[in-house]
Amino acid sequence: MSSVGAARFVGQSVTRIEDGRILTGHGRYMDDIVLPGMLEGAFVRSDLGHARIASIDATRARSMRGVIAVITATELDGVVSPLRVEAEIPNYLRPVFHALADGKVRYVGDPVAFVVAENRYLAEDARDAVEVDYEPLDAVVTMDQAADSALPALFEDVGSNVFYTEAMNFGEPDGAFAEADRIVSAMIDSARVTHVPMEGRGGVADYRPGTGELTYHAGSQAPHAVRQALIELLGHPAERVRVVIPDIGGAFGQKAGPSREDLVVCAAAKLLGRPVKWVEDRIENLAVAGHAREETIEISAAVKDDGTILALDAKMRLNQGAYPMLGTPAPLFGWIVRTMIGNAYRINHMRWSLDVYASNKASYSAYRGPWAAETLAREVLIDRIAHELGLDPVDVRRRNLLTLEEQPTKMMSGPTIEAVAAIDTLETAAELIDYDGFREEQRRAREQGRLLGIGFSTYIEPAPGPPDFFAAIGFTIGGERAVARLEPDGHLTVITTQAPHGQSHETTLAQIAATEFGVPMAHVRVLYGDTSTVPYSSMGTGGSRAATMASGSALHATRAVKQKALAYAGNMLEVSPDDLEIVEARIRVKGDPDSGMGLGELAAAVYASPPEGEESDLRSVALFNAPTGGGYSGGTHVCFVEIDAETGIVDIPRYEVVEDCGSLINPAVVDGQVRGGVAQGIGIALYEHADYNEEGTFVSSTFLDYLVPTAMEIPTIGVTHFESPPTDEVNYRGVGEGGTIAAPAAVLNAVSDALGGARVEQLPLTPDRVMALIDMAGERT
Amino acid sequence: MSVEVTVTVNGEQRSAVVDARMTLADFLRHELGLTGTHLGCEHGVCGSCTVLVDGASARSCLMLAAQAAGTEITTIEGLAVDGALNQLQQAMRDSHGFQCGFCTPGFLMTATELLRENPHPSEEEVREAISGNICRCTGYQSIVAGILQAAELIYE
Amino acid sequence: MKPPPFDYRSPSSLDEALALRSEYAYDSVVLAGGQSLMPMLNLRLARPEVLIDLGRVAELAEISELDGGVSLGAMTRQRSAERSDLIRGRAPLLQQALGHVGHPTIRNRGTVGGSLAHADPAAELPAVCVALDAELVARSVASERTIAAEDFYLGFMTTALAPDELLVEVRIPAAAGLLRTAFVEVARRHGDFALVGVAAALALDDAGVITDARLAFTGVAGLPVRATDAEASLRGALAGPEAFAEAAGLVAGQLQPRTDAHATSDYRRRIAGVLARRALEEAIS
Repeated sequence: MSSVGAARFVGQSVTRIEDGRILTGHGRYMDDIVLPGMLEGAFVRSDLGHARIASIDATRARSMRGVIAVITATELDGVVSPLRVEAEIPNYLRPVFHALADGKVRYVGDPVAFVVAENRYLAEDARDAVEVDYEPLDAVVTMDQAADSALPALFEDVGSNVFYTEAMNFGEPDGAFAEADRIVSAMIDSARVTHVPMEGRGGVADYRPGTGELTYHAGSQAPHAVRQALIELLGHPAERVRVVIPDIGGAFGQKAGPSREDLVVCAAAKLLGRPVKWVEDRIENLAVAGHAREETIEISAAVKDDGTILALDAKMRLNQGAYPMLGTPAPLFGWIVRTMIGNAYRINHMRWSLDVYASNKASYSAYRGPWAAETLAREVLIDRIAHELGLDPVDVRRRNLLTLEEQPTKMMSGPTIEAVAAIDTLETAAELIDYDGFREEQRRAREQGRLLGIGFSTYIEPAPGPPDFFAAIGFTIGGERAVARLEPDGHLTVITTQAPHGQSHETTLAQIAATEFGVPMAHVRVLYGDTSTVPYSSMGTGGSRAATMASGSALHATRAVKQKALAYAGNMLEVSPDDLEIVEARIRVKGDPDSGMGLGELAAAVYASPPEGEESDLRSVALFNAPTGGGYSGGTHVCFVEIDAETGIVDIPRYEVVEDCGSLINPAVVDGQVRGGVAQGIGIALYEHADYNEEGTFVSSTFLDYLVPTAMEIPTIGVTHFESPPTDEVNYRGVGEGGTIAAPAAVLNAVSDALGGARVEQLPLTPDRVMALIDMAGERT
Repeated sequence: MSVEVTVTVNGEQRSAVVDARMTLADFLRHELGLTGTHLGCEHGVCGSCTVLVDGASARSCLMLAAQAAGTEITTIEGLAVDGALNQLQQAMRDSHGFQCGFCTPGFLMTATELLRENPHPSEEEVREAISGNICRCTGYQSIVAGILQAAELIYE
Repeated sequence: MKPPPFDYRSPSSLDEALALRSEYAYDSVVLAGGQSLMPMLNLRLARPEVLIDLGRVAELAEISELDGGVSLGAMTRQRSAERSDLIRGRAPLLQQALGHVGHPTIRNRGTVGGSLAHADPAAELPAVCVALDAELVARSVASERTIAAEDFYLGFMTTALAPDELLVEVRIPAAAGLLRTAFVEVARRHGDFALVGVAAALALDDAGVITDARLAFTGVAGLPVRATDAEASLRGALAGPEAFAEAAGLVAGQLQPRTDAHATSDYRRRIAGVLARRALEEAIS
C-alpha cells in the first residue's frame, strides 16, 4: 500500500464542522455572551452631519434607574489616546481624531457619548435623556463639495477635504492615444453601499480590576490588530491584553480593523471595573459601521477600429466619508484599482489619477473586493467599445485578453502575471451558455417587444496576490503562520491566524491537516481567534488570503509535526521513518497494515519522553509565503436579464460563473462563496444605496430603505470550475471576493445590451432609472 | 411596568416576571437563555428572529413577551430529536446551506412551517416562502437546495 | 432598538378595551398584530404611555357572513383571511391582495383591522376596501358608527377614527356582480410595500360588456385613490384591450403621487396606467 493520497478529504464537499452548532442554535455570537456583573452600553450618536458640539448635558441621564455611567470625550481624556492613521502615506492628509467626538461631529452617527447601564433597555432610556447642544455647520456631502475650498474643512488640523491626490502615467499613453482610430469613454458612477452582515458589530470588554487583565471579546476579522490598538491607544500593558473572537455573523470587510467603539467599550470597562457589552443594532450598522463603493471612474480607451485597446485614461474619485479607517487607509484601494485596472488584458499604456475626498458621511471601509471599481469601469467600457465600433463584446474581449502563451507578462502597473487563464474562462462561458443561440433568441424576442440582454464580465483578482503585487501597491503583508501540535491522545490541533466568519475554515483547514497527517477529520481541531494562542497577524481574515496562505501554513505545519512523529516512531520501532506512513490514525510500516502503533500510543510516549530539543506536543510553526508565480484567481461572469419595458423592473433569469481559483479544498464551500459574492454584486447593481440627502442626513436608515436582495431577487447561479494546471503544491487560491467584483459589470452590461447598447453607467439601476434609459433608447431608434 | 409571562418553550413550561416592553426575542434570549434565536434588525424585515408560536411562524422581535403568554413556542433549540439533527437540519448540513450561521435560526423555523404546510414545494415556492428571510452569505441557492432535500427526506 | 417604557393593558373583552381607549385616548396606542406598531416602538418613533393589547379580545377575530357579504372582526389575522373559504367566495379580491402583503410570517400575526387602521399609504388592504365599497365599523364606549371606506382615509397615515374609538369590524358587502377581480402591484422586491398597486374589480354582463368597474390605487397618494374617470370610461364598454387601454390612459390624470427614495412621482404616475391595464386583463382572464 502506498502512502495516503493528497485528495482524501481535500477536494471533497465534506460537511461542515461548524454546522453542528449552527444548525442547533448553539453558536455563540456576541450578544449571546453573558458575564457575571456585565453591563450593557448604548452610544449617543449625532443626528447632524456636520456641527460643533456646544454642550453635552448628561445630568438627567446619569440619574436614571440602572444607569452606571455616561462617558464622553471628557472622561476619555487621558484614557484613550487621540487617533490617527499610522501609515505615513506621502500626501495623504492624516487628521487627528478621537474615539468619541471631541468638540465636533462629522457625520450622522458620529458617537458622542456612551451610556452604560444594567441592560440595553435602560441604556437606551438614558440615551434619550442625554442632551447634546449642536451648532450646525454647512454639510459637505458630495465629492464636488469636498473639492470646494469655500466649504468648511471637516478637520481643522489638516484644513482641506481633499485628502489625497495622485497622477501618473504608465507606458506612453500620449503616443498611444495619438494612434487611436477612436476614443471611447464612459463615466462610471458607483453608489455608496454598505456590507450588511446579518450580525452587526459589537464587543464585550471584560476587565478584572484584581489583575488588570483586559479580555476583549471582539467581533473582529483581525483580533491581533484590535489587540494592538488596545495596547497603543488605551495604553494597556500588552501582557495583560487578550482579544478573543466568538462566532461572528458575517463581516465582508466591515469588521476588518479596530473601531472607535472598540476603544470606548474597553475604556468603559476599565473605568467601571466591570464587564461591558456593546452590541450594535441595525440602525447603527446601516448608518455608521462602514460604507463602501462611493467612487466614480471617468474612463476612456484609445482603440483601433478592430477593437484593439491601445491605452486607457482613468480618473478615479473616491469619497472616504469623514473619519479614516485606521488599518487600511482609503488611498490603498485606489492603488489596487490602479494596479489591477489593466487586469488580464493586453493594455500597456495608461494615464491615471486618483482623488480621495473627505465628507460628512460614514467611513469608507473595505468591502469584499474593495478595488472592484477597476473591473466595473473596464468591463463596462469594453462593452461600450463593442457598441460604438459595431463589434461583438465577446470578440472585443477575445482580441484584448492575454493568452496563456504570452505569459508570463509584466502588467503596465508592475506585477507579473503568469498562468492566468482568463481568456479560457471567457471561451468556456461563451460555449456553456450557447452564446450564438442566445443572440438568435434575443433577436426573436425583440420582435415580440421583449427586452432580453446578456452581459459579460471577465476579470482576475489578487487572491492573495504574489509579492510583486504587494510591491506595486506599496503595502506589504508578508507570509502567514500556522501552528500544528500533537495532542496527548494522538489528535491534532491546528492553530490558524484566520478569523472565520462564514468561510468554513474550521472545516477546510481540518480537511488539509487531516489529509496530510493521515487521520479522520474528527481527530483534527482548528483553533483561532485568541491572541494568547494565535500567532501574530495584522490582517486575520481578509484579502482572499486564506485559501493560499492559511492552507499553505496549515499544510506545512502539519507536515512538520508528521515528520517529527514519524522520526520518533521510527526510533521506537527501529525502522527508517521513510518506511513509515500514517493511515487512519495509525503509524505503520508501508505495505504492512498490521504493524506499528496507534497515534494515541505514540503521543503518550512522546509526552512522557519528548525527543531532544522538542516540546512534548511536537509543535511546529510554519511560515508560508505566497508562491512566486500565480496568486490570481479569476473568471468570467455571464448575466442574462429580461427587462419589463413598461415598468423598468429588471429580472435575472439566469446567471453563470466560470471561475478559476486553482484547486478546490471543498467545492461546496467554493460554490457558496461565489454565489454569496454574486448576490452582493446584484444588490450593488440593482437594489442597494446607502444614501444621504443634501443636508448630510442618512436616509437609507432601515431595511425598508436599504434593500438587500432576497431569494426572489437572486437567481439560480451556475458555477463552473475551471481548474487551470497547478503551478504549486499549494494550488488553492482565494475565491471569496470575485463574485462581488465581477457581478455589477455583468448586470450593467446585460441591461445595456437589452436596451440596444444604451449607456448604462450609474448605480443602482432602480426601476425609474431603467425607465429613463428605455425612454432614451426608444428616442434613438 | 412588570408582567408575569408563562409560556411553553420547546415543550417545557417557563415563567418569568419581566418588563412589559420586553420583546419575545429578548425574553427567549436573555430570560430563558435560549440564544439560538437571533436579532438581525429588530424591525421585522430580516427574519433572523423567526420562531413558531402555536405552530405559526412569527417575528419574535415584533412580539412582546406578554403577547406570547399561554402559547407554545418552538425555537431552533427545539428542532433536534433526542439530541440528533432532525431531517431538515440534516439536509441543511448536507447541502452546505449556511456560512456564518446568523440567519440560520430564522430560515429553519420558516422552512419548518413551509414543509408542514406544503410537503412538496417547487423551487419557486421555496424561494417565495423564504423571501422574508435575509441571508447575506450564501446567495440563497444552498438554502433552497437544502429545503428541497429536506422535503424528500421527510416525505419519502 | 428596544421599546420605550409604557404601561401595558391586556383587556379580555371589547367593553374593557373600549373603556381603556376612552380613558387613555391620545396617551394610548392599540396593539393589534404588531407588525407595524412594534417596529415603531423598537425605533422609538412611538412613545405611548399606555399600550392596549387587543390580542385577548376574542370577539374581534370572527369571520362571518353578513347579508350576502362578509364581516371580518378587526383582529382577524391576515393569514386567516387568506385561507377563509367564505372570503374566497364572497371577496376574492381581498385574498388576491393579501398575497402581496409582506410575507407569510408577517401575515400570521398581522391583522386586517390593524393594517386598515395604520393606513400606510402603500398598503394593499385600504385600496381593497375602497374598491369593494367596504364599511368600517368604529366603536367607542358611547357609540358605534359605520364609515364608508372612502371616507375612512383622510390623509397620510390618518383615518377618521377618533382617539377614543376602536376599529372593530370590516363589512364587505355582497359583490353586486363585481366578481372579476385582480390585485397587481410593482414593488422593488417581493413582499415590499407597493411602489404602486391597484385593486381592480369588474362586473360583466353575458355579452362581456362592463356594467360596473372599480380601480383603487395604493402608493399614489397619502391615501387610496379611486380612478373614477377610468372607471367611468369602462362602464358600458366591451371588456378587452381597447377599453382597458383607454381606461389606463385616463388613470394618470387623477393621481398626484410623490417622489421618495424608491421612485419618482413621474414613474409612479406612468406605471399606474400600466398596472391598471394589467389588472383589468388579469381580472377577466
